[in-house]
Amino acid sequence: MEAQWTPMRWPSAWKDPNAVNLLQGTGIDCLVIGAGDDLAPVRSRAREAGLHVADLAAPPAGVAVVKGEWPGVKTGRNEGQTQTGPTGVPWVDSNGWAIRLARAEQPEAQVWVDAPPAANAVIAADSYLIAMADSAAYGGRWIISLDNALAAAMDAQKPEAEKPWARVKETAAFFAAHQAWREYAPFAVLGVISDFSGANEFFSRELLNLLARAGQHCRVLLKREPCATDGLRALLYADAEPLTPALRKQILDFVEGGGLLITHQWPAPLERELPAPVDGFSMFAVGKGKIAISKEPPTDPYAWANDSVILVSHRYDLVRFWNGGAAASYYTVSPDRRRAVVHLLFYSYRGPDAATVRIVGRYRAVRVATVDSPQVAGVQMEARKDAVEIHLPQVSQYVALQLEA
Amino acid sequence: MQCHRQTRREWLLKTSAAAGAWLAGPSLTRAAAPTSRVAVARCRTYDQAELLPVMQKMFDQLGGLGKLVKGKTVAIKINLTGSPTYRLGYLPLEDTHYTHPQVIAVAAHLMGKAGARRIRILESPMSTAEPIEEYVLCANWEPRDILGAAPNVEFENTNYLGQGKKYVRLTVPYGGYTFPAFDLNHSYQDCDVFVSIAKMKEHFTAGITLSMKNCFGITPCTIYGSGAGIDEPSATPKGGRTPVVHAGNRQPSKSAPPEKDPASPRQDTYRVPRTVVDLNGARPVHLAIVEGIKTMTGGEGPWIHEELAGVAPGVIFAGLNAVTTDAVGMALMGFDPMADRGTPPFERCDSTLKLAEEAGLGTRDLSRIEVIGTPIKEVRFDFAAIRKKRRAVAPPPIGVRG
Repeated sequence: MEAQWTPMRWPSAWKDPNAVNLLQGTGIDCLVIGAGDDLAPVRSRAREAGLHVADLAAPPAGVAVVKGEWPGVKTGRNEGQTQTGPTGVPWVDSNGWAIRLARAEQPEAQVWVDAPPAANAVIAADSYLIAMADSAAYGGRWIISLDNALAAAMDAQKPEAEKPWARVKETAAFFAAHQAWREYAPFAVLGVISDFSGANEFFSRELLNLLARAGQHCRVLLKREPCATDGLRALLYADAEPLTPALRKQILDFVEGGGLLITHQWPAPLERELPAPVDGFSMFAVGKGKIAISKEPPTDPYAWANDSVILVSHRYDLVRFWNGGAAASYYTVSPDRRRAVVHLLFYSYRGPDAATVRIVGRYRAVRVATVDSPQVAGVQMEARKDAVEIHLPQVSQYVALQLEA
Repeated sequence: MQCHRQTRREWLLKTSAAAGAWLAGPSLTRAAAPTSRVAVARCRTYDQAELLPVMQKMFDQLGGLGKLVKGKTVAIKINLTGSPTYRLGYLPLEDTHYTHPQVIAVAAHLMGKAGARRIRILESPMSTAEPIEEYVLCANWEPRDILGAAPNVEFENTNYLGQGKKYVRLTVPYGGYTFPAFDLNHSYQDCDVFVSIAKMKEHFTAGITLSMKNCFGITPCTIYGSGAGIDEPSATPKGGRTPVVHAGNRQPSKSAPPEKDPASPRQDTYRVPRTVVDLNGARPVHLAIVEGIKTMTGGEGPWIHEELAGVAPGVIFAGLNAVTTDAVGMALMGFDPMADRGTPPFERCDSTLKLAEEAGLGTRDLSRIEVIGTPIKEVRFDFAAIRKKRRAVAPPPIGVRG
């Protein structure tokens, strides 16, 4: 059973145990407190207040901690200058892929993301929203870590602390109130098979990161387990090791049934060559499906991620954005498949003013929630063939689309 | 019909102006620039039931598609400017700044019916080598609607080498204003008939964008883009054409012809109109189709910092000469095709039409252009008046659209 805490790193500068009172009425119920004796009164006071106290050096049972990046649009060395990737799209750091991998590896654990702000960083209120939502949307929790300036301002009860702290509190409360969403299963078109370790660690993990950035919804499939391929259109295998006979049979069944395999190796000759939509791969027909074989060994996960999107085809995109800017999404469905929650993350310095989102699936109603508003007004939904298009008014950087079939 | 005989006074004025222009650059006399008829039609929707007969009639008025395309390979340059994920508000891209897929499909269908052997739909989409089919899916189009419109229809992304083995070099016959020749994707040479299907729009840098400006996008960014290789073309396109074409602060890949005069002005408002004309000289348009059934005012796409609006002028027009077609297009937009730099819509840029006329590509003089079909005055949509009103106030704040 997952632990269901909302953790916060206790600012080391806060020595007064009464500061624990700041957390009353927030969703924060677990304090990560440093090991020093000087914080013993804080630990005692926290326990008295009913809060769980944790130490990152020995995380609580049922918690997996992943080291993350500060999420958002990456800025360059020059203050405020946005870095862009090779396509000109802003470079976004997100911890979603790492949470998903950790959840696949330890399904029973709650995943905490350890990504404190840089020592001298001054974080805007909405950046806290992004940091928290970037983890919570994927079923994890960011260890709330206040920047030093905010911690000091709160300690001194300065008014400039009010806005960012209010943002932290309302975001924590929002996700604490929607614990049930963590039971929703991710919807995906592509399964990435790997052991995600050893010689494959860099490529496979970076691939998960870049697939998410490319907007392709994928499922993490651990090589050690039978592949759950239901609902998938494609599988991707880029590990260095040859396929085991058992895995090969599973994949072949999937392909012969109409699926696509994207890989760099196949142990048998392939004869029925088809035109390939990308230069780096050759495509072969196998049964009702296809195998795309890369012409070169896998070295560049960026190229593989972008080629994967085309090999699978945008036709099968689960979510499409217009005017979303640097956006990401996580599409989940309820166990009874009658409801879906699509988490939308907009990583720019503010949310979009006229975004449209196309969601695959037949839905009759949508409720749009943000941490500011449980039901955003002014949303329009249009039915499309096997999809809906949702027009959003000005929204903040995190939006939950709650869809009903 | 709007074909007027010239008076002796008009003739004298025009010939003297043309003589002056000749001294300034590559030029024929205005009177010598060829003319060609332009068909104009009212069309209020993209419904096939309305659009197909309208386009069929236009092509018949131009002499029939059969004469042009029967047994031929037709290359059609469409306009997919900007990212497919960028809309003007909630409006579909094809209702504002992309050539509408129904217009492309109907054109392909009618060409197929007229006996075209092969129809290739071309565009150099922004910063990507992905297939056009994939690109337009992101705009919410169904590529099969176009691919199935006639036999042997295919797409090619011309922003890189694509299906070709090497780039082809097309030379500007009059020597060129900016570039003497261009290295392009093979599709622009491997065709018998070249068609430009454009959207009727204003343009931030060039004043207007019609069938000629649409051809700006035939240049591959592997050679003319910000990420182009220094010596050889890059394998895939990265970035836009601003450094090479707009600003001229770098040259194309050395494998391609460099610009003629690196000491010429570096202003985009000087360079872009000239490069557009050079491209039209190197790759002449046989059939220009411009659709303004639905479009936008204020610029060529939603990224323009102006008060932008989706509008429905309900007009489509076509001609066998891109300059005469665009001249009629300007008139349909409420602008004077004889306008020069300093006059709307060329307040701060040179007139592509004037430069094209002086290069001998075609006349912009409405009195020399036979307009057939719906008279201009009946379908004019006054972009000029909207522009004047818009520019009387400060532009809106920039939003976060993408």
